[in-house]
Amino acid sequence: MLRFIVKRLLWMVPSLIVVSFLAFVLIQLPPGDFVTTYIATLAASNEVVDQNTAADLRARFGLDRPMIVQYFKWISGIVLRGDFGLSFEWQQPVSDLIWERMALTLVLTFSTLLATWGIALPIGVFSAVKKYSIGDYVVTFFSFLGLAIPSFLLALVLMYVAAVEFGQEVGGLFSEQYLTAPWSIGKVIDLLQHLWIPVIILAVSGTASLIRVMRANMLDELNRPYVTTARAKGLSEFHLLVKYPVRLALNPFISTISWLLPNLVSGSIIVAIVLSLPTAGPLLLQSLMSQDMYLAGAFVLLICALTLIGSLISDILLALVDPRIRLE
Amino acid sequence: MSRDTEHGPRERRGLDRRDMLKGLAGATALSAIPQAASAQTAKEAPALAKLAAEGKLPALAERVSANPLVITVEKVGRYGGSLRRGLRGSSDHNGILRMVGNQGLVRWNLAFTEVLPNVADKWEVNPNSTEFTFYLRKGMKWSDGKPFTADDIVFSIEDCAKNTELYKSPPSPIVINGQAGTATKIDETTVKFTFASPYALFLEQMATPLGQHPTLFAKHYCSQFHPKYNPGVADLVKAANLSDWGTLFRNKCGDIEIPSRWGNADKPTLDPWVIKEPYTGGATRVVMERNPYFWQVDSAGNQLPYIDRLTFSISQDVESLMLDAISGRLDIQERHLDTLQNKPTLSQNMQKGGYRLIELVNSSSQQVQIYLNMTHKDAKMREMFANKEFRKALSLGMNRKEIIDLVYLGQSEPHQTGPRPGHPWYHEGLSKQFTDFDPGQANAILDKLGYAKKDAGGIRLRPDGQKVFFAIDVIPTLYPDEVDALELVKRHWAEIGVDIKVNTIERALYYTRGDNNDHDAAVWPGPGGLDPMLDPRDYLAQHTQGSRYAIPWAQWYVSSGKDGQEPPESQKQRMKLYDQARATADMQKRGEIMKQVFDLTADAFETIGICLAVNAFGICRNNLQNVPPKYPNAWSWPNPGPALPQQFFFAT
Repeated sequence: MLRFIVKRLLWMVPSLIVVSFLAFVLIQLPPGDFVTTYIATLAASNEVVDQNTAADLRARFGLDRPMIVQYFKWISGIVLRGDFGLSFEWQQPVSDLIWERMALTLVLTFSTLLATWGIALPIGVFSAVKKYSIGDYVVTFFSFLGLAIPSFLLALVLMYVAAVEFGQEVGGLFSEQYLTAPWSIGKVIDLLQHLWIPVIILAVSGTASLIRVMRANMLDELNRPYVTTARAKGLSEFHLLVKYPVRLALNPFISTISWLLPNLVSGSIIVAIVLSLPTAGPLLLQSLMSQDMYLAGAFVLLICALTLIGSLISDILLALVDPRIRLE
Repeated sequence: MSRDTEHGPRERRGLDRRDMLKGLAGATALSAIPQAASAQTAKEAPALAKLAAEGKLPALAERVSANPLVITVEKVGRYGGSLRRGLRGSSDHNGILRMVGNQGLVRWNLAFTEVLPNVADKWEVNPNSTEFTFYLRKGMKWSDGKPFTADDIVFSIEDCAKNTELYKSPPSPIVINGQAGTATKIDETTVKFTFASPYALFLEQMATPLGQHPTLFAKHYCSQFHPKYNPGVADLVKAANLSDWGTLFRNKCGDIEIPSRWGNADKPTLDPWVIKEPYTGGATRVVMERNPYFWQVDSAGNQLPYIDRLTFSISQDVESLMLDAISGRLDIQERHLDTLQNKPTLSQNMQKGGYRLIELVNSSSQQVQIYLNMTHKDAKMREMFANKEFRKALSLGMNRKEIIDLVYLGQSEPHQTGPRPGHPWYHEGLSKQFTDFDPGQANAILDKLGYAKKDAGGIRLRPDGQKVFFAIDVIPTLYPDEVDALELVKRHWAEIGVDIKVNTIERALYYTRGDNNDHDAAVWPGPGGLDPMLDPRDYLAQHTQGSRYAIPWAQWYVSSGKDGQEPPESQKQRMKLYDQARATADMQKRGEIMKQVFDLTADAFETIGICLAVNAFGICRNNLQNVPPKYPNAWSWPNPGPALPQQFFFAT
């Protein structure tokens, strides 16, 4: 087990290097660079960048040098000094920008995860056990509906209704007075009051698909001979369900942990943008759109590292939960 | 203040540049503002009065300077309130600049026709426009209470703007003929700018956002980040984990249009409101509070601004600004929601949102300027585009009325280019030539040019057998209306046997293609409608990114003949004339010179326009007062700044 973990950890290093290079190339691939995008964005508001300044900017950010030189400048800063560089746009350290947003992102993602699993798992089990009952049909209907509605659209509709019909504010995670207030009980309560809207919106499609997956997994297991045996031995129906088929049906969820971690950063971007949530997603998109190389590169690197770590964790967990799985 | 922007009288009485030349006496008249209201009688916001009474703040008279700028207001307002606006999450720092950061030496009047005193109380210009002497306000203060003097201006220009480590080349507003001007201190409140060659346009440049360098950097604060004044700056750089002092200086003191200008709450400014919650990468809102040392008062002697605080909410998605507008959560907003498509929704919800619409006069001339690349890399294409008759045929071959009715809801008129109707320099020949829809004549011209043969699809063939076909670059995310207009043009031109591709591309690619001279043709709104002197890119090849009909010519002009390609005679004449106009302070004379430029432009007919640039609009809450119902929409007139938001107020 230990050998396995160490081996996997060592493999991460070359993977990260390759990915960092690819990410850098990919972000640079679109025509133009940060300065062109910056000029074009300002032009959209009828604004002009002094032409001397534009040339100056390019030289200052080193954008006039070959890409490979830019890459080495960037990566050596990270490897040698742990310095992710300055964001071109904000002229602030990239690491500060990212961490500033990670805390709330974690809260949001985990709340959503809890809500999704909390709703989906019992309902999935229920709809498998009571297959083709009225309850199953109702649940199936709603879960297909949830799957079909894009979450950003749901967010827009909710926002519109709340704003136009009730005159209520939906965007953001805090009310006006708590926005910059230090943490306090009041601020936590305020956060919870705002959090449920994005959590529900984000949970809807996840819940819907989870219900379907759980239902299918359960149906596979329910007809297995061990279930019949257990029942024949007189185990109570609830005890039986939870102890055997549910545990087996959970395997696919544990595998999903590997993409859960990168989702912290890159998931739910559109909803976060629509709802103006101060999470990492919008910042990532923004940095990609403005070709803010260092910021975008750091994000991609982070997502990649999280994916690798996530898949390692899920492999270990799978081995722990399911004795049939061997790591070697 | 005159309330009209474009149809009203345009006399320049009291503001003629000739007056300026008469020296100090004339210049004093220029300020055109009664100096009667003195600081002694001024009144202030209750919160500040309380602080002053407690001794935590100097008395008002000491704060507003001995001769504050007196703003003639429509109604004397009341203090208080918080004004809400929206910003986009990225690259929207100029949204703050437009609202508060318009405090240059001079400012524009509401009609965008003349320059008024601002930080400078008055000025003098020497007869050949090479020396500009500005007289500052005695006792004027930065927002931290430290005095603002001629030293600050000299520091900003000589030590900062002209420092090659900070700016590789000096900012263009202080440069004429490749040479930067010099700022010299005469005494505490007098500063003189000297240029090597005549530069009459300097005053106008100083009224635009890019001309703010003289008043940007407070010497007492910013010099600590400057190696000339602080030998220990290297330690500061290291402590901040940065690479060079220039980066540190920019982080702390900002520049005209970079986000960090609004990212440091400690930096002293001359603005009516100062940063409390800064604009940084992770911010979800920006808050600014009144500057207790603001140096402007209303006509009754009350210190401005009236409004206590500005709150800019930051939306990742500009669409959500629409919701904010409709539900009445924005007090004044035009940015990001002024597109024609939004107008019906916003008009419909006026009652619900409790706002009114304000009209923003487009400073541009042309809504959809079509630039055929007359310096195309392909010789055959170049020959085709460079032929005036060909461009004339294309112009006659489009049905402008249909485009205006369908795309612009009838809110415009056929137009080529040139100053807008109502502008004193309006040139009918330039604006209206070849705007009739006459496919018959267009066909006749094209036949005569040797494109008479057609292929099976009815498209004309060039003598070399190629189709008469070209692509027009357009950025759909930026100007969706231009795509619609071009689709109609494509249909019209198909009728006269010319095929085009509406080449919808991403904006960075658009710029790259232009920079490399790779485009067949491109569209962009044509500027120069209200500000022909400041943005003449369509009148002569002057803008190396914007004069898209011949970027190499513009490069030739800008580099004084070193780069690019040599332009034809008509262009060279215009370049010479424009240089001459830029050096002429007398408006009458300048107008005469520019008329010659417009005559030549009309004769050369380089760009093909569709219709007069359409006015935009903004929303303004009903209780927000002293907001002009109509003002220009421009970057050189960075709306709403010159409409003076410091004198807006909330009625009870």
